[in-house]
Amino acid sequence: MKHKTTILFLLPWILILLVFWLFPILYSLVLSFTKYSILSGEIKWIGISNYLELFKDPDFWTALKNTSFFVVGTIPFTTFFALILAVLVNQKIPLKGLFRAGFFIPSITSMVVVALIFTNLYAKDGYINFLFQLVGLPTPEKGWLLSEKTALLSIMAMDIWMSTGFYMLLFLAALQAIPEELYKVSDVFGASFWQKLWHVTLPHLRPMTLFVVLINTIKSFQIFVEIFVMTKGGPLNSTLTMVYLVYEQGFHKFRMGYASACAYVLFFIILIFSLIQLKLFRVGKAIGE
Amino acid sequence: MRFQRIIIFIVLLIVLAGMLFPVYWMVKTSFSTEAGLVIQPKDLIPSGLTIKNYLDLWQWGPFPRYFLNSLLVAGLVTLGNMIFCLMVGYAFARREFLLKNLLFLSVIFVIMIPAHIIIVPLFLIIKWLGWYDTYPALIVPWMVTPLGVFLMRQYIQSLPRDLEDAARIDGAGDFKILFSIVMPLCRPALAVLGIQVFLTTWNSFLFPFILTSSQKMRTLPVALALYQGYQTIDWPHLLAASTVAALPVIVMFLFFQRQIIAGLTAGALKK
Repeated sequence: MKHKTTILFLLPWILILLVFWLFPILYSLVLSFTKYSILSGEIKWIGISNYLELFKDPDFWTALKNTSFFVVGTIPFTTFFALILAVLVNQKIPLKGLFRAGFFIPSITSMVVVALIFTNLYAKDGYINFLFQLVGLPTPEKGWLLSEKTALLSIMAMDIWMSTGFYMLLFLAALQAIPEELYKVSDVFGASFWQKLWHVTLPHLRPMTLFVVLINTIKSFQIFVEIFVMTKGGPLNSTLTMVYLVYEQGFHKFRMGYASACAYVLFFIILIFSLIQLKLFRVGKAIGE
Repeated sequence: MRFQRIIIFIVLLIVLAGMLFPVYWMVKTSFSTEAGLVIQPKDLIPSGLTIKNYLDLWQWGPFPRYFLNSLLVAGLVTLGNMIFCLMVGYAFARREFLLKNLLFLSVIFVIMIPAHIIIVPLFLIIKWLGWYDTYPALIVPWMVTPLGVFLMRQYIQSLPRDLEDAARIDGAGDFKILFSIVMPLCRPALAVLGIQVFLTTWNSFLFPFILTSSQKMRTLPVALALYQGYQTIDWPHLLAASTVAALPVIVMFLFFQRQIIAGLTAGALKK
């Protein structure tokens, strides 16, 4: 049966797709080969100069290094804590629901709000320093976010705190999909808690672990809000990240072409992980349906 | 066994305290009487409680406007998604058309595109459209989210067609079928979608920040992030404003836990 309304139903998506996704993505690619100053409105084709300049720009390498460090430094911890918490919350213990909800609350709180709370906690006279001094640990002289050595690490710790609950929920969903019989059989054979964890639970969590690592990688490469609120890339570029560099070049220095080139490099890095994800997981399967 | 469970319970309690402490600290500071003090008190239980910080906020010119902006933008984006994702998802689930697979691939593609990549071109397009620093810039680009389309398509596919067929035989038109037969059946999926979109939009910072410039167009997250830069930080007031931004989300979460969890894990766990 033919329906005249099909195109009408699809129209909202087609319009949004063309105007706000496909066009910007292509336009950005074109821009990355130009010198475009929004102030004068002048646009000049300069080939791959932006990319060449980018690869010579120490700020770019700093941003790439910091972003990679952020990704590599947070994800193992987030994944590990999320997995452990999921296994623990999945035991027969009272107040399960409370734990699940409580652990999850940080990840639904606005990033700006979380960043503000931690700016307060990390301050020179903030609570974290108070605790450190209480047990006699050394503290950074100017506060955690104002010292080059600790700023990025502090933001990473906050990010682990914030996102663990979300990934815990994903692990919980995977845990609940493990057939109960496997545990019953293990019990018959007298397996201990640890044996069950090692031989039944963990093997079944492998696909979810991979998935969690991938989506967290994709998300973490785009870190921006916390940097903007807490450090503005400082001190001395020690928290400069890729998206922050794009923002700074595009919206402070108004170098739209250069910012686009930088965005495209980031896009390709993320694309690699997206393609792995698409190849390995179900969202991909949905296409063939 | 019993002993093990007690240990686990205690460990979880300690972790819970750590997870909730920062949120508690925000709420505690926002109700404290310490505004104007140079050194922040460290007591866990404040020496005095007051709602003065909140009253100050409400009387401080632009704040109610920020709140209303957030509410208006998140509300309209949510409404748009519920209507449009239903329409588009329905077409994908029930209709055959040219290039269907390609168009569906575009949905998956956009789900995977990191939105941060398009800040520069989107900003320029919004300027050309003459939407810079207006509500349409904050609302229109987000009216149809690809994840919403995906979610609605999956859900409608799982529904039986009988009711639609029966209605068609009774002479109902396409729009009538969609909005009076399919839509009521989709209520659970629409709830998941609506709540998810509302929370994301309510919390979103980057795009409202890039696409507006005047104070009267700011949403709560933008106002909070920009407030900080201006003066030596007045924590009790700033954290009171933060609480106003965070609390609706937390309360919503406590009420709609199931839907929110379903929405957030939707892309991940769909079979």
